Amino acid sequence: MKTQDVTEKPILEVNNLETGFTIDNKFYNAVDKVSFSVKPNKIVGIVGESGCGKSVMSLSIMNLLPKGIGEIANGTILFDGNEINKLNNNEMNKIRGKDMSMIFQEPMTALNPVFTVGYQIMETLINHSDISKKDAKLKSIDLLKSVGIPRPEKIVDEYPHQLSGGMRQRVMIAIAIACKPKLLIADEPTTALDVTVQAQILELMKTIQQENNMSIILITHDLGVVAEMCDEVIVMYAGKIVEKTDVDTLFHNPKHPYTKALIQSVPKLDVIQETLGTISGIVPSLKNMPEQGCRFVDRCSMAKSECRTKTPTLKPTVDLGQADDSKEHLVSCLLYDEA
Amino acid sequence: MKTETSSQIDINMKNKTSHSPWAIARRKFMKNKVAMISFVILMIIITLALLAPIIATSDITKINVLEASQPPSADHWLGTDKGGRDVFTLVLHGGRTSLMVGFMCTVFIMLIGTTLGLLAGFYGGWLDTFIMRIVDFVLILPFYVFVIALNGILVKNSVVGGVWLLIIVISALSWGGATRMVRSKVLAEKENEYIMAAKSIGNSSFKIMFKHLLPNVISIVIVQATLLFAGMIVAEAGLTFLGFGVPQSEPSWGNMLSSARQSDILQNKVWMWIPPAVLISVTILCINFIGEGLKDAFNPKSSK
Repeated sequence: MKTQDVTEKPILEVNNLETGFTIDNKFYNAVDKVSFSVKPNKIVGIVGESGCGKSVMSLSIMNLLPKGIGEIANGTILFDGNEINKLNNNEMNKIRGKDMSMIFQEPMTALNPVFTVGYQIMETLINHSDISKKDAKLKSIDLLKSVGIPRPEKIVDEYPHQLSGGMRQRVMIAIAIACKPKLLIADEPTTALDVTVQAQILELMKTIQQENNMSIILITHDLGVVAEMCDEVIVMYAGKIVEKTDVDTLFHNPKHPYTKALIQSVPKLDVIQETLGTISGIVPSLKNMPEQGCRFVDRCSMAKSECRTKTPTLKPTVDLGQADDSKEHLVSCLLYDEA
Repeated sequence: MKTETSSQIDINMKNKTSHSPWAIARRKFMKNKVAMISFVILMIIITLALLAPIIATSDITKINVLEASQPPSADHWLGTDKGGRDVFTLVLHGGRTSLMVGFMCTVFIMLIGTTLGLLAGFYGGWLDTFIMRIVDFVLILPFYVFVIALNGILVKNSVVGGVWLLIIVISALSWGGATRMVRSKVLAEKENEYIMAAKSIGNSSFKIMFKHLLPNVISIVIVQATLLFAGMIVAEAGLTFLGFGVPQSEPSWGNMLSSARQSDILQNKVWMWIPPAVLISVTILCINFIGEGLKDAFNPKSSK
């Protein structure tokens, strides 16, 4: 089948991406030399605490960084073989919404309050294809139906303030998938929703992904969501990738102390726990980022003295008891350097 | 059968109550009694002024010394002025001028203010700084002094004369406040995620500015325009009263008021200045009540 041989070529390749902000005339990296790729038809999860650079990275990929404040300093972003970080705004507008689209965190504010939901879906369709208004409206009703909205022919004429948070997030998904993009970036799509709605939305995203052969970059800080949804996981800390592997390996054999700590801080149903694991401290702010050494050192329970002086790099490690070499497991930690 | 009727009802319901922000604001405004009464009175005043050439047909350019300074009578409902012109006719024709000056100034000021405010707020950076420094400059000019001076300079060299010159001069000196206000609203509004969402589906900056941002700041523009309209009518009356506004040859409320500068008219011939004074006051009160009503109507937090 044709899709089979395309599978090998990644849809998105990020190489050495450095994105940062200029504060008081000094440049600070919020995303520091990050490289990863997304294969077609796969869901890649990016996890990490608040302030780890997850959102900045997704905005860099979409080229939506606030102008004059944030900028890509280095690195390349290849989307479908094209270097998109060099494109200007007009060229980027042809890709945004069509081949690559985004779901935002806050469904309450991500829809324009003065337009009907139908209008907002139609806008994407009209921007990217020669479609009449009437057809666009019919198509947006279909889209609303496909994201599981009841009475779509009514809802299409309603305003965002008439819908609940879960419904609005479904509308956001309908807008994002209107043109059948190759890549969907979901920036904490379920954080603002309650747990039952969260499960429905994730289910919906997975179904849509399989139906349309999309790739998804799922940004979240919920490991449960990652386990449920993702094929590959990238763990980020303070703007760097600290661990990157497939989802099974990550949960069964986490290597980086940060990943281990994250997994320990998730409550488990089958174990009686008096207290839940925590990671004390916070992510260092951009201005206080250590110049050298590991950025996690102050919060790491396994830190050695050399962790403060020697900067770890992302290297492949061998998983004990795992015969399958095809699974890549990259860790950026000095503990595994000698091994 | 039953389902059919219920869907029928649903459709009727939908037609009755639209939930667009505009429809909600309109319904709120209609429920506001003070604002609605003001609106009706203002509409009557505007209609009378617009229909002045049809209702009041006596020639306002003709001076008739024989009928000068007559008190109200059956022939002249509101009396006549020093030149023997019918005050009722004058006050209607004067309303045309005064309302037109107020309205056109408001239109020009809001057009300039909204466009520049949107540009400054949306793009930020050097464009913002540039526009806002010009605004600062315009705002520190003392309004009356500069209107008088500019009017005096331009009246000899300009192609447009009289009323239109006054409109242009007033507008050129008053757009600062509107620009600042629109900019501040844009700054707050553009932080909302829907602006980024609009970008993420491939809209150009121009389209985002005028299609997504403008409808969200237009309510404040409308309210501000209403209040500005009242202010501009006062500005016209004030300038004309001082003798620097509408030329004497054109009747306006301000021109009629200026006759009251003579103490004889002020004390003994009140019919000459009371009608324009009352009309100015009523018009401005009405406009202000409407403005307050609109402010409430557009405010999602008010239940009035």
